[in-house]
Amino acid sequence: MRDFLELSISAAASGCIYGLIALAYLLMIRPTGIINFAVGEWAMVGAFGGFLLLGRIELPYPVGMAAVLGIMLLVGWATERIAVRPLVERGAPLLAPILALLGMLVVFRESISLGFGPDPHQVPEPFGFEHQKTYMIVATLIVFAGVWLFFERTTTGKAFEAVSLNRKAAALMGINLPQVTAFSFAGGAGIAGLAGLLVAPNISAHYLMGVPLAIQGFTALVIGGVGRVEGALLGGLLLAFAEQLTVRYAPLPAGYAQGVPLLLLMLFLLVRPTGLLRARA
Amino acid sequence: MRKVLAALLALAASSVFAQETIKIGVITDKVGPAKPYSEPTLEGIQFGAGEINAKGGVLGRKLELLIEDDQGRPDISATMARKLVDAGAVFILSITLTPATQQQQNVTLEAKTPQMTPMNSGDTLTTQLANPYFWQTGPLGSVQIATLLSHARAKQLKKVALISDNSDLGQLLAKFFRAGLEKSGIQVVTEEVVPRGVTSAEPQMQKIRAANPDAMFMAGVLTPENVLILRAYRQMGLKFPIHSSYNLSVPQYMSVAKGLLNGITFVDAYDPDKAEVRKFEADYAKANGGKTPYNIHGYGYDGIRMVAEAIRRAGSTDKEKIRAAMQQLEFSGVMGAKGMKYGFPDGKRTGFDPNGMVVRVYEGDKQGRVVHVGQK
Amino acid sequence: MRSLAGWIAAAIMLSAVAFFLGGYYNDVYRKLLLWIALALGYNFLFGISGQVAFSHFAFYGIGAYAVVIFLFHVGLPLPLALILGIVVCALIALAVAIPSTRLEGFYLALATLALAQLFIVVLNEGGTITGGTGGIVDYRLPPIFGLRIVGPWYTVVIVVLVLATYAVLWRLDRSWFGRACRAVRDNPEAAAAMGVNVARTKVIAFTLTSVLAGIAGMAYAFVDNTVNPPIFGLENAFLLLFMVIIGGAGRHAGAIVGAVALYLLPFVLSPLIGHHHALVFGVLMVAAILIQPRGLIGIYDRLRRP
Repeated sequence: MRDFLELSISAAASGCIYGLIALAYLLMIRPTGIINFAVGEWAMVGAFGGFLLLGRIELPYPVGMAAVLGIMLLVGWATERIAVRPLVERGAPLLAPILALLGMLVVFRESISLGFGPDPHQVPEPFGFEHQKTYMIVATLIVFAGVWLFFERTTTGKAFEAVSLNRKAAALMGINLPQVTAFSFAGGAGIAGLAGLLVAPNISAHYLMGVPLAIQGFTALVIGGVGRVEGALLGGLLLAFAEQLTVRYAPLPAGYAQGVPLLLLMLFLLVRPTGLLRARA
Repeated sequence: MRKVLAALLALAASSVFAQETIKIGVITDKVGPAKPYSEPTLEGIQFGAGEINAKGGVLGRKLELLIEDDQGRPDISATMARKLVDAGAVFILSITLTPATQQQQNVTLEAKTPQMTPMNSGDTLTTQLANPYFWQTGPLGSVQIATLLSHARAKQLKKVALISDNSDLGQLLAKFFRAGLEKSGIQVVTEEVVPRGVTSAEPQMQKIRAANPDAMFMAGVLTPENVLILRAYRQMGLKFPIHSSYNLSVPQYMSVAKGLLNGITFVDAYDPDKAEVRKFEADYAKANGGKTPYNIHGYGYDGIRMVAEAIRRAGSTDKEKIRAAMQQLEFSGVMGAKGMKYGFPDGKRTGFDPNGMVVRVYEGDKQGRVVHVGQK
Repeated sequence: MRSLAGWIAAAIMLSAVAFFLGGYYNDVYRKLLLWIALALGYNFLFGISGQVAFSHFAFYGIGAYAVVIFLFHVGLPLPLALILGIVVCALIALAVAIPSTRLEGFYLALATLALAQLFIVVLNEGGTITGGTGGIVDYRLPPIFGLRIVGPWYTVVIVVLVLATYAVLWRLDRSWFGRACRAVRDNPEAAAAMGVNVARTKVIAFTLTSVLAGIAGMAYAFVDNTVNPPIFGLENAFLLLFMVIIGGAGRHAGAIVGAVALYLLPFVLSPLIGHHHALVFGVLMVAAILIQPRGLIGIYDRLRRP
């Protein structure tokens, strides 16, 4: 029983990270339909930002964290400007920005690898070793609450909703589409960067950490569904619990346990591609 | 006029001399997963070659390193081996991933070119293919576990846990660790794998805790995943001793796993107290502006010096003569316990003395003293 | 346009080259040819049929492993091993393609991504059947009619394979099937309205190109006489995608240009900029999509126009 409780906390913390990445995807998919696989690399940039500002330069944690988030907002905005806006303005098919962002994924990863080398680096934890998981969960809940409130209560948030429902109509109603897109990318980058900063004390900041996070985050999104913000968190938690409980309790040889998230993904794709939570009508 | 003539003659002489270099091929990984190991090994090789050339080279000729990057891809590795053979390399040093070194062997066997890996530890490299032109002087996984076990013998281990990652080398080391443990009559109560890219090793460590082992053996080679294991260990307040493969001797752990290392024993091929090691570190620092080397550099340094010695004894650059000379070679290098010699007796192709590894312990966050030598 | 004589002339020319290259260049040439075969197939799947999939390289691996396992672990004669290998590829492709027809395009991408990863997991856990993490190494191509095909002669085999792949795909492209694939790619509803069986077209395109990739894999197995999991890793799937896009999706010439450019580029760049050629690829990829979505072949077309 004690194992289960401990594992629940660990799975909850991991699930929060997956949920944050899923949320980042969601923020960008809703108004634009673009799936940005570079979110994993954004998380990596956030992690390295943490290493640099908090580990090397040793800024106080709140300052460093704010700086990292600020940088990530810029990175997201810049990514949109470079790889997405020209394509959207040209009316290119949806696949084009998705592929361009795949190219950006490689650019991000190689740039970090060039700058920091292949070795992993340690990122500091603000509340110490024992409280890191609690911190991760609380931070995630705050972010999700904030985003939910944004979508439900603010007019800008409602504008986002409008855009995701019907781009043309929203534009006709005077909603500034490019601004919404820029905002969604900046926000997505900020959230992804935060996820990286939160998970890096565990997994170390290294240049290969992006792709696994991107895949896990996307699986969480598929499970939870794109329709609702809460879906991202639910998907993340479900995925993490499935992963960790399987390793702990299933009588499978260790190597096969890695297949569980993949099988889960394929299962959901075949049986329930829209995810668990439906969007509100 | 005479000055010009003298200069021309000197130029002519030096160009003739330059054409007479002995080409040694090096296949390294500059981009991919082996880079943290390949890079320092290459630096060790370059330093060693520089030292040898400064003393006049081998057989009156200078060594020329032809360095190729296999981008961490085994199929490109084989291509690079062919390139080096075509370019006239008389010996190829493989300092990249284990599967890449394996794939090169098909080429070196076909081209009858001597090949050596001074750093790979995969036991299967000399067993999967019968290649008399290939030698391995890295510390084998089987030797690592035997050394660890002989150190732990006093502790009377009955049941232990084994944990690794899903990289190919990690799996290979785990396989040989298990074999070594079972041969000693120790029961492996649970074997866990931490796959690349997970965010927590707690489920695996919980399973291990539930099995209540006397000790835990780490065979993984991926740094972030090993850090996850150590974090979970500390998180769960576990107390059983940890014994690790040589992977934990990589200095990066001291910065990325701060606070997690105290008391862990790991097997290494480097005794910082050894006279040869101290000389190596001093000479290297002098030649490299104060930068000190670490254990991985030593593998490369020993490797190139053994190749040079084999060529010297062969008396020529004929590949068959070099092969024969290498097979007969006995060499005392930087790596290994005090007094260890490399050698390939009885036609063996693994050169690292099975008794040549040491067990060291982490004291605080620093790699500490040697606590045990060999397999006695 | 291309007559049989044309194909034969191309075959002879491309094969003759092999006899003038040394061991190293022959190796580069062979692997380049195989990548061209892969790119042509992937171009048909992605560029012409509009299916985003990451499993193409996994089928390369399935073909390679299948033929080696059937030949040396099961002990079948070569022709049977080859046929069974093709059957295995086809079955797995069908197993992935048929359920995927019910889903939106991008879900196929995810399912194939998962397949590619599962493939590596199975290889690593496969014990003595797949050789586990070390793969299978100690084998040679068995003699065919008593002859051992090695060196430049094996390159000829690969040349024939690549040209055959090109011929098949080129023919298909020009047939009604190719038009159906394009119709499905551009507008599935309209295609259905015109009487095209959308699901069947997609399944056939996927299965066919995957089998072609598997056949290329069978040829690869005897190039290095080694198969191991790292060779068939996921990064190659992305490289293939980049090749087709940078070269010019939808055009066979584009696939060839892309494969040649991205395969040879690291060899050229390595001595110059060191090793981060992946960065160059990423930049090229973004540039290609932003500036010239028709890829390098599009640039070539523009230059040709007076």
